Amino acid sequence: MSGADRERTRWFLRNILPHESALRGWLSRRPLPGVDVDDVIQEAYSILAELETVEGIRYPRAYLFQVARSVITRHVRRARIVPIHTVDDLERLEHSDDAPSPEQHTIDRDELRQLARAIAAMPLKTREAFILRRVKDLPQREIAARMRISENTVETHISRGVLFLIDWFGRGGNKRSQTSKTLEAEIAGIDGRARHQSRH
Amino acid sequence: MAERDTSRDIDQAASDWTARLDRGPLTPKETDAFQAWLRADPRSRGALLRAQALSMMSESAQALGDGFNPVAFEEARRPRFAGLSRRQALTWTGSAAAVASLVALGVALPAAGAVVSTRRGEIRLVPLKDGSTVLLNTESSVRVKYDDGQRRVTLLQGEAYFSVARDERRPFVVEVDGRRLRTAQAAFRVRKLDADPVDVLVNEGQVDLTVGGRTTASLALGANTRLTLSDSRDGAVEQPRLIAPEAVTRELAWREGKLAFEGETLKQAAETFARYSDTRIQIRDPDLAREPVTGLFAANDPVGFGRAIAHVFDARLAQDGDTIVLTRRAAAE
Repeated sequence: MSGADRERTRWFLRNILPHESALRGWLSRRPLPGVDVDDVIQEAYSILAELETVEGIRYPRAYLFQVARSVITRHVRRARIVPIHTVDDLERLEHSDDAPSPEQHTIDRDELRQLARAIAAMPLKTREAFILRRVKDLPQREIAARMRISENTVETHISRGVLFLIDWFGRGGNKRSQTSKTLEAEIAGIDGRARHQSRH
Repeated sequence: MAERDTSRDIDQAASDWTARLDRGPLTPKETDAFQAWLRADPRSRGALLRAQALSMMSESAQALGDGFNPVAFEEARRPRFAGLSRRQALTWTGSAAAVASLVALGVALPAAGAVVSTRRGEIRLVPLKDGSTVLLNTESSVRVKYDDGQRRVTLLQGEAYFSVARDERRPFVVEVDGRRLRTAQAAFRVRKLDADPVDVLVNEGQVDLTVGGRTTASLALGANTRLTLSDSRDGAVEQPRLIAPEAVTRELAWREGKLAFEGETLKQAAETFARYSDTRIQIRDPDLAREPVTGLFAANDPVGFGRAIAHVFDARLAQDGDTIVLTRRAAAE
């Protein structure tokens, strides 16, 4: 990653990712036919990735919601047949986040401990490679030598590790802020994920 | 027509590219393939951004230290959420013994403002309703109280980094020792340690310090400025200092679970480490204690730091329970 890319990634990590579960909850509360929540989130992130600069964004959470909203609008317009209630729903979406809710939600995003737990839950070989890469900071080449596997296999393990983190943190994970409204959905998501993990 | 990739397929590809980029520079051919992938779907760039962000976040695993034992973090089968009140803490220690301390913290009292705390060695990000966040360093606590007119956070003790989302109508006010720091939008650190005067460091934006009791005068602090608040409430003149961006980064390295030193004495470094764990570094030799230290270290790994120091200064390291003793070889002989 170039320095500028790293800067954008860091901004995203600190300012956008913590709000993903709130966004997911908001999007899931009122599902729109033919609109997949995960597609919307990825596409919204694409828009953030392509911005010239993020300096002007003073209010990242609101901005994220607004971008997601614009993605939905685009999707709905793109669809050939727009069911009339979909448009209604869009209007409701417009306001749903303004609803009063408890003043603040400090469900902890205890990152490092969560990270330790996520790494601990990885499949064994992936875990070994990932620990050598991230905890011990060894380059992939050196990990290959140490584990007596090819560099390509190390790369595959790192990729699996990253995907594992996406599943752990990104999709219905449990490290982010939650409103009481989304908590139920979150629990459902977490249980689903826990089952998924146990298959490894 | 080809089947459209699912968001999961895209995440998979984004992880593959993240791992490939982590391995080393792309060949020209790979660069073409990478660009083609990015262009192929409007979700690609976003998925890549998230994959890279999580990969970046995982870099902080270094702070788990060499002693990290993943087995200690494997979870027993139990429900992940017992309820909202279950606040779990982060412990940086990799030792199995530390796992016992991963228990629920107290329940906050929203009416009086919610109190959020960390214990020694913990770090915690507290996302707030308005999009602002507070990152708490080790042994810190804040009280959060939002109302229509004000977003107010009181730093009760320790160190916190505030990333304040813009809201012109509702200022964000940090109270510390009866002093008020006010902003519409900024990113800044406030530190209140027992031994030292309160220290404010502004990373981005502008923070105004209310000066004097009832007067409305205020002192504006811009990016890359640091201010030490004197004890006396009105008398002393407080002079903000401009500091280099690199120094700001160093001061804030704890956000990544790291401690950065540049010319601090070994004694000062040892004191800093003492904030993060129960392990104490003792330097018996006063000359050694005055040696300048430079480098980036895992905050939770005082032993690793001790070893590095022993190596650099040709000192001898002895460990006795929770105490690490450093002595100069010459002095020891």
